[in-house]
Amino acid sequence: MGYKITKKENLSAIDFFMEVEAPHIARSWKVGQFVVLIPDEKGERVPMSVYYADDGRIGMFLRRHGITTFKLWYEFDVGDEILSITGPLGKPIDVKYYGNVVFVSDAVCAQAESYATLKAMKEVGNYTIAIQTFENAANVYPEKYLAKPVADEHYLTTEDGSVGIKGHYLDVLKELIEKDKVDIVFGGGKLGSLKKLAELTRPYGIPTIVTVRQIMVDGTGMCGSCRVLYDGEIKFACRDGPMMDAHKIDWDDAIKRNARFAEQEKIARERYLAKLREKGVI
Amino acid sequence: MARAKPKLIKERVPTPEVPVEERVRSFVEVNLGYDFASALKEAERCIQCPPEYAPCIKGCPVHINIPGFIRALRENPDNPDEAVKNALRVIWNDNTLPAVTGRVCPQEEQCEAPCVMGKVGEPINIGKLERFVADYARKHGIEEALLREFMGGNGGMKGKVAVVGSGPAGLTCAGELAKMGYKVTIFEALHKPGGVLIYGIPEFRLPKEILEKEIAKLRELGVEIKLDYIVGKTVTLEELLEEYDAVFIGTGAGTPKLLNIPGILLDRIYTANEFLTRINLMKAYLFPEYDEPIAIGKKTIVIGAGNTAMDAARSALRLGTEVTIAYRRGREDMTARIEEIQHAEEEGVKFEFFVNPVEFIGDENGKVKAVKFEKMRPLDERDSRGKRKIVGTGEYITLEADTVIIAIGLEPNRIISEEATGLKTNSDGTLVVDENLMTSIPGVFAGGDAIRGEATVILAMGDGKKAAKAIHNYIQAKKANA
Repeated sequence: MGYKITKKENLSAIDFFMEVEAPHIARSWKVGQFVVLIPDEKGERVPMSVYYADDGRIGMFLRRHGITTFKLWYEFDVGDEILSITGPLGKPIDVKYYGNVVFVSDAVCAQAESYATLKAMKEVGNYTIAIQTFENAANVYPEKYLAKPVADEHYLTTEDGSVGIKGHYLDVLKELIEKDKVDIVFGGGKLGSLKKLAELTRPYGIPTIVTVRQIMVDGTGMCGSCRVLYDGEIKFACRDGPMMDAHKIDWDDAIKRNARFAEQEKIARERYLAKLREKGVI
Repeated sequence: MARAKPKLIKERVPTPEVPVEERVRSFVEVNLGYDFASALKEAERCIQCPPEYAPCIKGCPVHINIPGFIRALRENPDNPDEAVKNALRVIWNDNTLPAVTGRVCPQEEQCEAPCVMGKVGEPINIGKLERFVADYARKHGIEEALLREFMGGNGGMKGKVAVVGSGPAGLTCAGELAKMGYKVTIFEALHKPGGVLIYGIPEFRLPKEILEKEIAKLRELGVEIKLDYIVGKTVTLEELLEEYDAVFIGTGAGTPKLLNIPGILLDRIYTANEFLTRINLMKAYLFPEYDEPIAIGKKTIVIGAGNTAMDAARSALRLGTEVTIAYRRGREDMTARIEEIQHAEEEGVKFEFFVNPVEFIGDENGKVKAVKFEKMRPLDERDSRGKRKIVGTGEYITLEADTVIIAIGLEPNRIISEEATGLKTNSDGTLVVDENLMTSIPGVFAGGDAIRGEATVILAMGDGKKAAKAIHNYIQAKKANA
C-alpha cells in the first residue's frame, strides 16, 4: 500500500512541485517540520521540506538533482503511488509575534519553507519579508508558487540578474538590516550561503534560525548520520532541528558532512540517466 | 511398552554451515539448520526433565516448555509433519516468533546454560531445535491450521490495544494479545516492520524473508500494522489512549551513543545503527541496484564488542574491506554471542583488545585515516557487572583505518517521552514502569529496551509477553468496574 500522488507540476528548469495524499502527516504537521519519503522498493529514504500540509495532502518542492527526484519526475505521475512517506519529523519552529520577520532562501527546499513559514508568521501578526534567490531566469518559479501572497514585502533576486534584483539574498538582507527593519531571520537553502548568513547577522545580534540540511536515514534520531556540532556539542539535525540557530552551527563541518556520499550519488545519478537515455525518455 | 532407557549421547548433532570462503562475500545465512532426521537425533539426547523442574524452562525469559516441544518432536518419528505441528503448538503457547528466537537468542546464556546434559557433555542444542520446528513448519504449510486453532479458542473481541514499535517486544505483545482475542494495532515509524530485527540484524544471521513470514503470521492472527507512523509525532500518546483500551510502548533503544572525542564528525565514521540500517533495511550492499548508498574503504575498525559490533564487522567484511574489532577490555568480557564471535573469527575479522579510542585522525579531505588509541591495562578488581576494571596506561597506538563503525551502545529514543508529558523517565531515558510494566500513565505499558536500555531480543519478548498479560488484566478489571 502506498501514497497517491495527487498533483505534479513543473516549477522551473530544475525544480518541480508534487503533492501526495498522506492524511496521517497532514493532520499533525507544523511549520518547521519535514517528512521522509521513499519512491519505490529499491528507493532510498530522503528528507523533504514541506510547502503545505492541507486537506490530507502534503505539498513539496523537489529538485531534479539526485536519483530519487529524477525517478519521481520521470516515472511517477498523478494517480501513481509512492512507497512511503513518514512524518512529521523534527521540531516545529516557534510561531509567535517577533515584529519584522524575514525568510531568506536560495534553493528548492527553502523556497517551500519560505511560503510555509511566512504564512504562519503573518497569521500571528508579524510583518513578513521574503527574499527568494534563484540562479537565473529559467530557474524562477511561476508567481503562484512564490512566497509573494504571504509576504508584506517580497524580493526576487537572480544571481545573474536575468530577472528581478541582480544578486543574492545576502545582498538584499544586508540593506534591510542597515535600514534597521529586521527582528529575526529564518532561512534555508545552500549551506555555503547559510554560513555567510550567520556571519552577516551575527555582529548585529539578529536571531537567525535556519534549516540545517544534512544526510539522514531514518529521520528520528536513530542513525546519527545527521550529527552536527552545535555550540560545541553533538546534535542531530533530524531530532534537534532541522531548524537551528545559525550562529551556533559549525558550518565548515556541516558542509563537509553533507557531501559525504557525493561519489555514490553521482554513480547512481549517471547510471539512472544513462538508462533513461537508452529508453529514449531523455 | 516402556522405552528402553536411552544411552546418554554426550556430543551434539552438528548443524551444517556455509563454508567460510563462500559466505564472506555474500549475505546468505551462515547456519543451515537441522533436517528432520538430525533434529530427531538431537531431540533424542534430551533426558526430559519434568516441566516443574526443568532448568531450561527457568533459563528461558519467555519460559517455553522446552522438554514438551522436544518430546512432541520425537513422538512421531515416522510422521514429520505431525511431529512438527505438535512441537510448534507447544512453542507457540509461549512464543510466536520461534524462527527469530531460534536464530538470535544467546541460548548458551539462557536455556542451554543450565541444561542437565551440559553437566555430562554438551547441552541440548535447544536453539537449533526451535529453529528447525519453525523452519520446517513454515516450509511445509503447517502454520495455517495451527493459526486457526489459536484464533478459535479465544472467545472473540476483548478490547483494543495499540502497540508502539514493531520490534521483538511489540511483536510479542501484539501476538499474545491477538491470541487472547484483542484487536491489536501496531504503529511503526519505519516503512517496514520488525524494528531492530529488520534494521539491525543482518541477512546472514536472520534472513529478511523469514522475518517477513513471521510477521505475516501476526497479520493472520488479526494484528494490523500501521507503517510510517511515529507515535509522539504523527499521532500523540493521548490520542491513542482515546481510541484504545491500553497502549504498549516497545520502542527499543534506538539512539546511538557516540564517542565524545576529536574527529567524530569526519567522513566514513558511522554509528553501527547508520551502517546496519543502510545495509539491512535499505540494502545498500546491493548499491547501485538499490538507491541507498554506503561508502566504505579498505580498512575498517569497529569499536565495541557486542552483537551489534559483530554484525557490523561481518557486514563490513562482506562489502570487501579488512576488519578489526577494537575493544577497550579483554576477550572474556566481550558481550556478543559466542557463535557470532566464532563466525567473525572464522571469516577473518581481527581483534585488538585493551585499546580505548582517544582521537579520530582525518586526511586533507575530511575523511578518517586512522584512530589513535590509549592502551588499557586490566586490574584485579571487578565492577558491578563482574567485569574486570581497566585503567589507561598512558601509552598510545595508532591504527590505520579509512572506515570506522562505532558500536558502543544505545539509549532509548526520547520522541514519545518528550511529547507525552506525564510519562516518567529515568535519567538514561528509559521509561519508569511498575512490577506490571505499567508506566506512570495508567493504561500505558512498556517493555524491552525502552525500559531496559540495552538488552537482548528474548528479554524484550519476555517483557512483551508479561505486558500482554498485565494489559489483559488491566482491561478486564476496567471493564468489570465500568
